[in-house]
Amino acid sequence: MLKRVTGEQWIALGVILISLIMAWQITGISQSTGYAGIGPRFFPSVIAAGLLLSGVILLVQSRPSKHPATEDQTQDPDHPLDYAPPHPHWRMFGMASAALILHMSLISTLGFTLASTILCFGICLALETEHKIRDLILSFLLVLGLFHLFKWLGLNLPALITGGVI
Amino acid sequence: MDGLHDLFTVGFATALTPMNLLWALIGCTLGTAIGVLPGVGPAVTVALLLPVTQSIDPTGALIMLAGVYYGAMFGGSTTSILLNTPGEAGSIVSALEGNKMAKAGRGGPALSTAAIGSFVAGSIATLLLTVLAPMIATLTLKLGPVEMFALMVLTFAAVSAVLGNSPLKGVISLLMGLGIGLIGIEQQSGQARFTFGSAALLDGIDIVVIAMGLFAIGETLYTATYENHLKARVESLSGRFWMSKDDWRRSWKPWLRGTAIGFPFGTIPAGGTEMPTFLSYSAERKLAPPEVQKEFGKGAIEGVAGPEAANNAAVTGTLIPLLTLGIPTSATAAIMLAAFQQYNIAPGPLLFDTNPDLVWGLIASLYIGNVMLLILNLPLVGLWVQLLKVPRPLLYGGIVVLATMGAYALRQNWFDLLLLYIVGLMGFLMRRYDFPVVPLIVGLIVGPMAEKFFRRAMSIHQGDLTVFLTHPMSLSLLIITLAILIVPTYLKRRQNYLNKP
Repeated sequence: MLKRVTGEQWIALGVILISLIMAWQITGISQSTGYAGIGPRFFPSVIAAGLLLSGVILLVQSRPSKHPATEDQTQDPDHPLDYAPPHPHWRMFGMASAALILHMSLISTLGFTLASTILCFGICLALETEHKIRDLILSFLLVLGLFHLFKWLGLNLPALITGGVI
Repeated sequence: MDGLHDLFTVGFATALTPMNLLWALIGCTLGTAIGVLPGVGPAVTVALLLPVTQSIDPTGALIMLAGVYYGAMFGGSTTSILLNTPGEAGSIVSALEGNKMAKAGRGGPALSTAAIGSFVAGSIATLLLTVLAPMIATLTLKLGPVEMFALMVLTFAAVSAVLGNSPLKGVISLLMGLGIGLIGIEQQSGQARFTFGSAALLDGIDIVVIAMGLFAIGETLYTATYENHLKARVESLSGRFWMSKDDWRRSWKPWLRGTAIGFPFGTIPAGGTEMPTFLSYSAERKLAPPEVQKEFGKGAIEGVAGPEAANNAAVTGTLIPLLTLGIPTSATAAIMLAAFQQYNIAPGPLLFDTNPDLVWGLIASLYIGNVMLLILNLPLVGLWVQLLKVPRPLLYGGIVVLATMGAYALRQNWFDLLLLYIVGLMGFLMRRYDFPVVPLIVGLIVGPMAEKFFRRAMSIHQGDLTVFLTHPMSLSLLIITLAILIVPTYLKRRQNYLNKP
């Protein structure tokens, strides 16, 4: 159990990784234009260093307790271990993600209305709707209404055919 | 008292034009609806309206956005009282007593005391804003770039350390926001930073994408994964709706105390409404006579009246640093600042001189908005309750469609939708591992301003970093900053140490 990497440690590693990517990118910013030593590199460097430092502290802090056996097994009800929320439904997470990715890849060809209907219905499915047909129809009507409302408000949204009603 | 003069000559003249009244009404209505809907907060709504407001004149747009900000606070209490799922952070406390009251058939008086308390607090706080804002603006005119930078550092520390359970997580969230704020062309040298060679990133990541991603997409992913099976029941409004004489007698003092607690909290960078509402709740609980104290936890009207007033007073209070210093202290205020920037208007001490009709029109519209909201929320409350019956899958579907629409409408580029999804994943992880979001938003908006002030200070003082310590004002601000960062951690350590057997 001690060897297992906790979620929070993954986050800490992610933060450290981001700080390293930042450090690598900072080397691409030219230093020359700085005045009195304060160039466009200064702020990014401070932030990258800050992220690296806090990532390391988080990694150390979220290390599992060294003596789990000696601790009382009763858990503080206010602070359950690792804030464990109820059982995660990763299939539903996947469904919502798929709807979003489908939407971004289809919006320029199918137009706003159809792509967004797919998105809205996909989110309904991800939230385990009990009325699939009803929600499909309502998704379409809702999106169609929004399309015309925002077109009227002057927002530029793509239609299936230029100037079309859907 | 110059403020009152300007309010009546310039302010109401601007706010009372038919167009601006209409914008205020639209904002208040939209805000109430948004506040009522669980899962959508004022920050998302203001962000969502940013692209739409580009075609409206600045005064009308800001009046509408302020209406949304305000309205969401009124509407949020309806949800927390009847559904026990607070629509936004400031309503968490109202749910404690308010929902118990609704369960006992006293939903009507709970809603009334919340709405009237919000109205009273909002009006008093707006009056304070009218009188204080011009005075503070005159004082802040004397602040140079050194002091402004120190003030921003203090804001960063306060929003990261005060909110949430862990100051470390707040700091990480802040640094992420500051980092994201760096992406794009740097204004002074014209250099591209952190663009990874992508032309789409040269303009930076828009606040709309960040706010939508964190709040709307992140929230939806989280709900789908973890919370979809939590069932909430809408309490029906049965029994007497209006407050009895006794309810009035028990409510008016908590309203005033709530206002007194809330307003100062809004003006300091303590990140919004959670703290003042909790403080007001515990104050009411302590001050209540013994026979009322027994009612706490079972539906005491004082526990709704006080926090609701504190909530609204704090929201109005956040407008003081926003308008006089240009420093936002909550997520919604940060996005409001982005709205000002969209019109190339920089809030700050000069705003009262350069755009008097805008700023006084905005303040006057707050008085009008308060009255509108009282009417919208009391006699029409039944209408808003209907909104709670929208099936949850469709509600989230609609939110996600609006979020993608807001992001896509910026430049018609699918890349923004990809960014939106990535930010959404980040929001999901932040929610899951309990990272506060407000520091990220504030860092993102204030970060570039802080860098500008820092470099200006450095060029005035020939790159001498010690100016931050030799200017007395900046030194004291930095000492407060240090105290904010160190004291809570120290107290916690000490407590842990003392608690150990």
